[in-house]
Amino acid sequence: MISVTPNTSNVESLDLANLTPEQTALEIRNLNLHYGDAQALYDISMNIPKNRVTAFIGPSGCGKSTLLRCINRMNDLVEICKTSGEIRLHDKNIYDKNVDVAELRRQVGMVFQRPNPFPKSIYENVVYGMRLQGVNDRRTLDEVVERSLKGAALWDEVKDRLNASAFGLSGGQQQRLVIARAIAIEPEVLLLDEPTSALDPISTLTIEELITELKEKYTVVIVTHNMQQAARVSDQTAFMYMGKLIEYADTNTLFTTPAQKQTEDYITGRYG
Amino acid sequence: MNKWFKSGKPYIWLTAGAVSVSLIAVLGLLALIAWRGLSFFWPAAIHEVEVQANDGSTRVIIGEVYDREEVPISRLTESGITLEGFEGEMLERKLFKVGNREFVPLDFMWVMEPQIIRDETPADLAVLERSKDGNFYGYVVDVLENGESVANQNNLRDVLFERIERAVELNEQASDLQQGEIGAINYELNRLRLEARALDLEGKLTEAEQQRLAAEEHALNEQYKELEKELFAYRDAASRDSVVMRDMRGMEVTLPMYRVLDVTFPNDMGLFSKIGHFFTQIGKFVSEDPREANTEGGVFPAIFGTVFMVLLMSVIVTPFGVIAAVYLHEYAGKNAITRLIRIAVINLAGVPSIVYGVFGLGFFVYMVGGTLDQIFYPEALPSPTFGTPGVMWSAITLAILTLPVVIVSTEEGLSRIPSTLREGSLALGATKAETLWRIILPMASPAIMTGLILAVARAAGEVAPLMLVGVVKSAPMLPVDGNFPYFHLDRKFMHLGFHIYDVGFQSPNVEAARPLVYATSFLLVTVIVGLNLTAIGVRNHLREKYRSLEH
Repeated sequence: MISVTPNTSNVESLDLANLTPEQTALEIRNLNLHYGDAQALYDISMNIPKNRVTAFIGPSGCGKSTLLRCINRMNDLVEICKTSGEIRLHDKNIYDKNVDVAELRRQVGMVFQRPNPFPKSIYENVVYGMRLQGVNDRRTLDEVVERSLKGAALWDEVKDRLNASAFGLSGGQQQRLVIARAIAIEPEVLLLDEPTSALDPISTLTIEELITELKEKYTVVIVTHNMQQAARVSDQTAFMYMGKLIEYADTNTLFTTPAQKQTEDYITGRYG
Repeated sequence: MNKWFKSGKPYIWLTAGAVSVSLIAVLGLLALIAWRGLSFFWPAAIHEVEVQANDGSTRVIIGEVYDREEVPISRLTESGITLEGFEGEMLERKLFKVGNREFVPLDFMWVMEPQIIRDETPADLAVLERSKDGNFYGYVVDVLENGESVANQNNLRDVLFERIERAVELNEQASDLQQGEIGAINYELNRLRLEARALDLEGKLTEAEQQRLAAEEHALNEQYKELEKELFAYRDAASRDSVVMRDMRGMEVTLPMYRVLDVTFPNDMGLFSKIGHFFTQIGKFVSEDPREANTEGGVFPAIFGTVFMVLLMSVIVTPFGVIAAVYLHEYAGKNAITRLIRIAVINLAGVPSIVYGVFGLGFFVYMVGGTLDQIFYPEALPSPTFGTPGVMWSAITLAILTLPVVIVSTEEGLSRIPSTLREGSLALGATKAETLWRIILPMASPAIMTGLILAVARAAGEVAPLMLVGVVKSAPMLPVDGNFPYFHLDRKFMHLGFHIYDVGFQSPNVEAARPLVYATSFLLVTVIVGLNLTAIGVRNHLREKYRSLEH
């Protein structure tokens, strides 16, 4: 067995199958997804609890990123992609016809694998979402910038050069800037798609610490191919394989006493 | 040998050779037109040569050596020219530009080198640059004011300079008056005439209106009379002086001073005054209007027309091209029809430009322009306003011609933008249009500028279609002037490219115009390079600003 140190934060474990409405951030119900003729997700159902970190793990191509991108409908950009089933946010299916996708994405923010700051200043990057909503008041924006950058643990490093280009930052700083940009519009859910895979170990550590802080205010869903990372930062973990949700449980439970043979094989490094 | 081939060196030589050949070709062309064009402005020495014909008679020729060539004697003998006492196969002959067009039958003369028995460059020989009949070469004899001599041998040059300066100044004032205030009055009178006609057409030309218009017209006519008096006063003052010259026939001729623009004594100039004169001449060339059917004077209206038309075209083609490219790349479905449209657009760039000219004339000028005239300018009919070739139609025709270039490079720029940036913007709740406007288009702007650079380079050098849709040999008025609405897009304009064709192949005096062809070509290349450098500067600035992510 590889050395996995389970999360030591003492959050009470939840009954994931039967969450109360107050505890639930998202409910995924019978979600199927096809790319053309190929099916990528098979009948996924799970509840994602509020103000906690949920990790999706699994081998490459298992559909964990696809599932994540379903939550803010990023898959809509792929023309051949067809979805059926429900994802409920505030007891409302986000795949309903009358849902405003832009509004949904304001509630469900996303951070990608590679840092993708816009070719603007640090300041303008952070306020981008606010400006989209028509907020142009300088004082409000200043407050948002300070709050978001502090929230992303970047304020002390950039507070003297807010008007410098975002491209001047290091990779790790850029990724935190992107997180600041996402939390500037105060989403409820924050989706992180392998946020540290392009970063060095020190930056990774900073981001991981940040994730633990972020769950105070936001529901965090993280995709990672790094099992140690999942174990370190998440409260519950979902193991996916070949487009199916194999096991979903408390992180401690999943890593120490997996119920499924496939899960055990994966976390002990027998494939993946 | 085989080893040498395998080493890959021959390919380096081959590729480097291709680059060198292209470079030499381009630089050679530039050097040629620069040399031939710019040497025209250098003050050439004026020779006084005595030529002895076969029968022993002599005559004097004054002029600058314009060209020289070696001819075989056999050819001269065949054409009936016999040369005595000269042996050899080839002989040199010189072409003299002798000017004085109104006094000699030809202002260019060939002289056989062996026939020259005296060749001098006296310091007193003067060149008069004149507004009519070209240069005059000869000796200054006297300066007259109202027919009375006002100079002696000691102060001849000073008096001459002073009087020429006065005449030039008066001429300038007169032409300023004519083009400025008198031009404005003519414009107003024309406007009143059109207004009356428009009211008449609408049936609203009441008694009161007629009176108002008549009163305005009367006031303008009064003003005009005042100005005309002023103008005549200037002209009278300018024709007070005249200069007496002795030409190569040894005769003294009196030339009116108001036609003299400048006098130089090139044989008496030091290097620095020659350099000064050189730059003055270049300055005049780029800033003055043409004279004598374009064979003399400057090319300012042509420079202005070229640059104005190209800028107008850029303003039209950029938004159209960018919008079309955005649709093709961002919104159109990725299917066979889109691919077909894309191929069609690319192929449009290969259509001969004259086809665009014919299309512009038929569609824009006659159809669109004619319709516009009927709707908006019925009062001016039957004389057309927009239903005739003009600078706007030229700009639009060239915009269509260059549209493919802008579309293709914009599309390329759009496809180079990393998809992670689009997703980043969309994930923050931006719509596709907002993402395009705030992220994608700014980042694609360097590519858009590249397209514009290529479009400008192509448009500025294009002549054939313009001959159908707006260029003329000589435009009396620039498309921009001080009369409301300041931009007169219906006007015809002059163009450097057409100017080259006109001066080089349509002028009555091809020999005299040849240096102008080179000078104009050089100027056209300079203008295009200037426009391109501006655009490249803007693009580099944008590139620096939107430098792509460096992963």
